[in-house]
Amino acid sequence: MSDPQESNNTQDWDPRAMLNNLSFLEKKIHQLQDLVHVIVRRRAQSTGQADEILVQQQQLMTADLTSIIVQLISTAGSLLPSVKQTLCPESSISQQFGVTNQTAGVSDNVVFQHNNSVNKLEDPSDMTGFFGAEQNCPIEDHEMKSDDDADEGENLPPGFKRDANLRMHMRGHGDEYKTPAALAKPHKESSSEPILIKRYSCPYIGCKRNKDHKKFQPLKTILCVKNHYKRTHCDKTYTCSRCNTKKFSVIADLKTHEKHCGRDKWLCSCGTTFSRKDKLFGHIALFQGHTPAIPVEESKGSAGPSNKVEQLEFKYKSDAPSGSSCRNVMDLERSGEDPISYFSPLNFETSGIDGFQEFPRPPFEDSESSFSFLLSGSCDYPPKNGRYTGSNDME
Amino acid sequence: MDSILTLLTDDLLFKILSLLTDDSDRKSFRSTCTAFYRVDSLHRTHLRVLRPEFLPSLLSKLPRISSLDLSVCPRIDDNAVYLLLSSAAPIWTRRIKRLTLSRCSGLRFRGLETLVGNCVNLESVDVSYCSGFGDLEAAALSRAAELRELSLDKCANVSDVGLAKIAVGCPKLERLSLRWCFDITDIGVELLSKKCARLKQLDISYLKVSSESLRWISGMERLEILQMVGCGLVDDLGLHYIGKGCPSLEVLDISRCDKLSSSALGSVIKGHNSLLQLHASYCYSELPMTFVDQSKDLKNLKVLRIDGARVSDAMLKIISKNCRFLAEIGLGKCSVTDTGIMHLISGCVNLKVLNLTCCSELTDSAMLAVAESCHNLLCLKLECCNLLSERSLDYLGSHCILLEEIDLTDCSGINDKGLKYLSKCSELVSLKLGLCTSISDKGLSYVASNCFNIRELDLYRCAGIGDDGLASLSRGCKKLRKLILSYCGGVTDRGMECLSSLEELSDLELRGLPNITGAGLRKLAAGCRRLAELDLKLCENIDDSGFWALAYYSRNLQQINFSGTAISDVGLCMVMGNLTRLQDAKLVDLSNVSVNGFELGLRASCARLKKVKLLAFLRRRLSPEIIETLKARGCKIRWE
Repeated sequence: MSDPQESNNTQDWDPRAMLNNLSFLEKKIHQLQDLVHVIVRRRAQSTGQADEILVQQQQLMTADLTSIIVQLISTAGSLLPSVKQTLCPESSISQQFGVTNQTAGVSDNVVFQHNNSVNKLEDPSDMTGFFGAEQNCPIEDHEMKSDDDADEGENLPPGFKRDANLRMHMRGHGDEYKTPAALAKPHKESSSEPILIKRYSCPYIGCKRNKDHKKFQPLKTILCVKNHYKRTHCDKTYTCSRCNTKKFSVIADLKTHEKHCGRDKWLCSCGTTFSRKDKLFGHIALFQGHTPAIPVEESKGSAGPSNKVEQLEFKYKSDAPSGSSCRNVMDLERSGEDPISYFSPLNFETSGIDGFQEFPRPPFEDSESSFSFLLSGSCDYPPKNGRYTGSNDME
Repeated sequence: MDSILTLLTDDLLFKILSLLTDDSDRKSFRSTCTAFYRVDSLHRTHLRVLRPEFLPSLLSKLPRISSLDLSVCPRIDDNAVYLLLSSAAPIWTRRIKRLTLSRCSGLRFRGLETLVGNCVNLESVDVSYCSGFGDLEAAALSRAAELRELSLDKCANVSDVGLAKIAVGCPKLERLSLRWCFDITDIGVELLSKKCARLKQLDISYLKVSSESLRWISGMERLEILQMVGCGLVDDLGLHYIGKGCPSLEVLDISRCDKLSSSALGSVIKGHNSLLQLHASYCYSELPMTFVDQSKDLKNLKVLRIDGARVSDAMLKIISKNCRFLAEIGLGKCSVTDTGIMHLISGCVNLKVLNLTCCSELTDSAMLAVAESCHNLLCLKLECCNLLSERSLDYLGSHCILLEEIDLTDCSGINDKGLKYLSKCSELVSLKLGLCTSISDKGLSYVASNCFNIRELDLYRCAGIGDDGLASLSRGCKKLRKLILSYCGGVTDRGMECLSSLEELSDLELRGLPNITGAGLRKLAAGCRRLAELDLKLCENIDDSGFWALAYYSRNLQQINFSGTAISDVGLCMVMGNLTRLQDAKLVDLSNVSVNGFELGLRASCARLKKVKLLAFLRRRLSPEIIETLKARGCKIRWE
């Protein structure tokens, strides 16, 4: 089921996938052939059959043919990415074949929601038959982009389940979109015109996306059905080669992830990562209280050197030469003046320097001297080396 | 005595105290008696400590302290902060609203975080010149949710991320300076403009931001002051944004933004008629005519600085006609002529500050005109106006008696007679006479006998100045704080002895004075106990005997330049080990100091030093541990 044929790039084109697709098409054409045979035989047997059956069969056939064409185009598109881009979105294909806004009621896997059920049986639907025929294999193989692209197609405005979500979305568009008028539900301008919203169901029984579920949340397109099924009900077989942790069941998701993996260095305090600084800052500007998170390496870097200093300090303190004549003076001073341990020249190798002398200093009192620039005059100037015999006069 | 004191109630003393603005006056007040001391303790709201270890006990005695300045403490690091806050539940932290941590480069984010976390009512923080500060420190600051004012000048590692932290964490910010935070870009400024809507003052000088930033800034409704000096990437488009936005703008500084054309200034003036100050120095080589034409819209302009732009006489005439309330004008290097000055003062009679630096065509007649019209002149800068003679000073001395500041550097026409005239300006606070080679001790004695308020005197390379001049100076100018005597070759030890009676002297530059010896320095150090900055470069005859005295007496020394002195290993270690407030040392060309001496000296002081200048060869010779320790402590090493 998970053939790697969803590749977006030509260089990723997988001939095996192509072969799969072609044999699928072949099978499909055979089925159609059988159906037509049946009709031909029935007509031969009895004319004037109930029109209803005939109409149903026609519908089925049109649907099958449409799906074959879609499949064919997308298969061809896998060879030409640029072509695929324009052809792939479902709506455009449907329009090409003039089958939009046409419906044939409810089939097994597809639920149609009618805004207006006037033309209920008028025309065959596009995809119904296809899905009807492929009940066991609801996730088919044709090319598509990721769910997001198909879901909120470029020309369709995204819908929101909650007002809050809409508001949040509109914040990104700027202040002028925050007015109540802009946030109100859009008017249904053309109520006279029948607008049909097609909804699809997941084949997995019990899934919220399955039509039998109590709180059924329909899917918008077959592409959504396919990706939803893979994401929720299949194994995640693709592992990111960069981080080796993230796994995906849709290869496009893997590709998207790989583009960012490891490169999302811009982290918000809320845990969201961004590949670009301006994106992060845009996010922070929008949300109250969010701040950029500072990378861990930086905090480590700051903590490192200070530890080192303490070690070094400690080392030299303990290595102090015990023979120093001024040791006692030093210790006294350190305990009195300075709560923080610090280097003294005496704690280092002093050989080669003679006559080194520190002035004895009284332990500092808590006096205003600390901010009045006064130094207590009570300390004795050391007269030892005789240079300052008259030093007391200088006070 | 007692009877008088009983009459002075605490209320009265409080009133007296609040009128004492000068630090030394307050010191005299509190030294009077215990009662005064007590009142001073109760009255004091600001505390600038020199040693952090006294802080806890001091703060418990001073109950009204709300502003704490630790910028001159040599050793504020994380441990100091922990110790400071370790005493059981310090209540003073709740009172602190203003915290000055400028140049506390030893502090790291953990310490800062603890400090900010404890001072819950912080409204103003200054961490300028903490060059090691980065985003982590900014994040620590962002915890101060009440912050109104923040200076991050030269916190070079703060990036947009750090700014975002602050912008989100401190939404009440009103004043923010990001000068020289080179890592901040347009993205950060954009976020700031969105988050801090109350900003009144913003300084983005020297940032590498483009006009895009100004687009966002222009949306700030309350911005009154915008400083963007040297934003070389900003072009006219940015100024057009400012012209259309910033409805509250009053002060704009676009000096040194060299990508601007005349239309930029035009659109600013168009949008902001009520501008009070416009600083546009060194933007234009010639003042754009469009500005002159539009100056009629700037009726309220008080300050205009257009230094560096050539200005014609006619332009000055129009400006003076239009901007009648100008109080300050900067015309440095504008090649103004006598006629131009006469035109200018014909309209602007209220000028208080006039900068005419390097307008070398000016003659005495221009000064006559200025003196006769602008009686309120407070500051006059005439550096390099070579044609001025003593007659100019005569005019100034007779008319501008309020003059507080005059710069006569390199005015070769100034002589002793001129100084005699100038001494009539008895309010002078700052006098710059550098390179005035014709002045002598006699001239200085005139100044000293009349101008008792002088705090700053520059006598750089005044070869005629000797000990006698210093003697008269020390008798008259008792308030002198900053004195430059570099290369005044006549100064000897006797001069130093004279200076030693200047108790308030804190900043002394004595470069290249070969006649000063150890004995002179000893006398100086013993007398000038407030010395905080001392430059002894190339005083080659000062030996250890002087430095021993320095190490003993000058405990308040913060910056010292020993380069080229005769200091030895022992002297260096003594000074570096004993001067516990030393933060900045220049130790180049010390021929008597061995590598071991440097190592020891640095080890003795490495916990305190914030900046040190050394010869490049020592980089390999010193032990790697000491270099690493210095760097880890936030010390900047400049290898020469």
